[in-house]
Amino acid sequence: MPGFPFPGRPGGELDEPLLDMIIARRALPPDAPQEMHDLARMLGAVAGPAEPGELAGEAAMRAAFSQAASSAGISSAARRPVRRRRPRHRGEDRSRARLAAVMVVAAAGLGSVLAAYSDVLPSPIQQLAHVAVAAPAPHSSGPPQPATMGTGRPAPRPDPAASQPAPGPRHSAGIAPLSGHATSSHPQFTPGTSRPTGYPGSSASCAPSRPPSPSPSEKASTHPTPTPWPTAVTCGGAPRGYAVQPTVYPDVP
Amino acid sequence: MLGDRLRRGIGRADTRPVIGAAFSVTLASAQGGDEMAFACLFRDVQPPLLRYLQVITPEAEDVAGDAWLQVVKGLPRFRGGEEAFRAWLFTIARHRAVDAGRARSRRPDLPLAVTEVAEPPTAPDTADLALEAISTRSVLALIKTLPPDHAEIIMLRVVAGLDAADVARIVGKTPGAVRVTAHRALRRLSDLAERAGVTQ
Repeated sequence: MPGFPFPGRPGGELDEPLLDMIIARRALPPDAPQEMHDLARMLGAVAGPAEPGELAGEAAMRAAFSQAASSAGISSAARRPVRRRRPRHRGEDRSRARLAAVMVVAAAGLGSVLAAYSDVLPSPIQQLAHVAVAAPAPHSSGPPQPATMGTGRPAPRPDPAASQPAPGPRHSAGIAPLSGHATSSHPQFTPGTSRPTGYPGSSASCAPSRPPSPSPSEKASTHPTPTPWPTAVTCGGAPRGYAVQPTVYPDVP
Repeated sequence: MLGDRLRRGIGRADTRPVIGAAFSVTLASAQGGDEMAFACLFRDVQPPLLRYLQVITPEAEDVAGDAWLQVVKGLPRFRGGEEAFRAWLFTIARHRAVDAGRARSRRPDLPLAVTEVAEPPTAPDTADLALEAISTRSVLALIKTLPPDHAEIIMLRVVAGLDAADVARIVGKTPGAVRVTAHRALRRLSDLAERAGVTQ
């Protein structure tokens, strides 16, 4: 059954395009019937902005939301979206283990060097340190450390001028050669090919035409801008130098 | 102020999605636990949601709260744009409204929601319906006088801003039936307004 006509207008189906415009909330042409304009005006009133009392439940809902987020292990301070963590590479683990070992050895070696310079080591060792790191030569007033060469007599004091440099690289006693990685404080990360997307921010704006402003950490990021997500999102401060920002793959249907 | 209200009403609606291009960012923030981002979502959808529920159930605020609680639980798993988010929320709200209606029907001492909603007006005061003083509440009262399915479809299409396909899924009709019903509802609404002396 075709739509019954508006009062005074034959052929209700002629109004369907205008009704579709009203439903779609598009502006009516100026020459549209007055009842159409009135109808659009009425519906505009019922579709207007929030009125007093309509947002009264916001505080309760926000509290429920925070509680749910906390129980799910996500805090508002974290402000990170659901994402898949970047898998840790074996190289990273090996580098960290190597770094730890080197630091332990370095600490031990440092103590040895200090002892050598304090001339408190046994004479043979002190002599070695004297050659290797120019520590003071063994001193007679030092702790009695008879150093013999198998003859029962004290070993002759070596002539500094005749001392030969120790073969090979000059290593302080007890200090293992440092690997190249030891000089870096952090594992070597290669900046990801895809920057983290959709980083949330507390400054997510409710204003329709004002996107959230980026945080300083985001602004300083050297990661390429992703598509299609806007870059203007704060992430809550990942420390510089650590390219551990995970990749976000928001699922778009 | 009145002129602004009338101009705003002509072919425009403020309950349409207002987050717009920032929705995906806002959603991601909320999914990450950002309370302010969730507040954005709430403020965007709560007014049309509440008005829709006021048309279909007498427990609009309670049902809206239940719907939001369910949204909070499912928010981390939601995927989609702003329109899909609204459709999801309104679907949940309708289900909660139906559940509330069933619960009320099992409590004979309480009035049935259907009869309350379907009762012919408390016809809105003619003065309230005058274009010069048209208000949300008065128009809602007029919409409530329509047949329930007409009123619901008008609210979902116009106020909630859902497309015909989404509305069809929510109310269990075909998109074509939704379109036809919407047209009939608007014509009847216009007729009622004219009888009430609103239109000229």
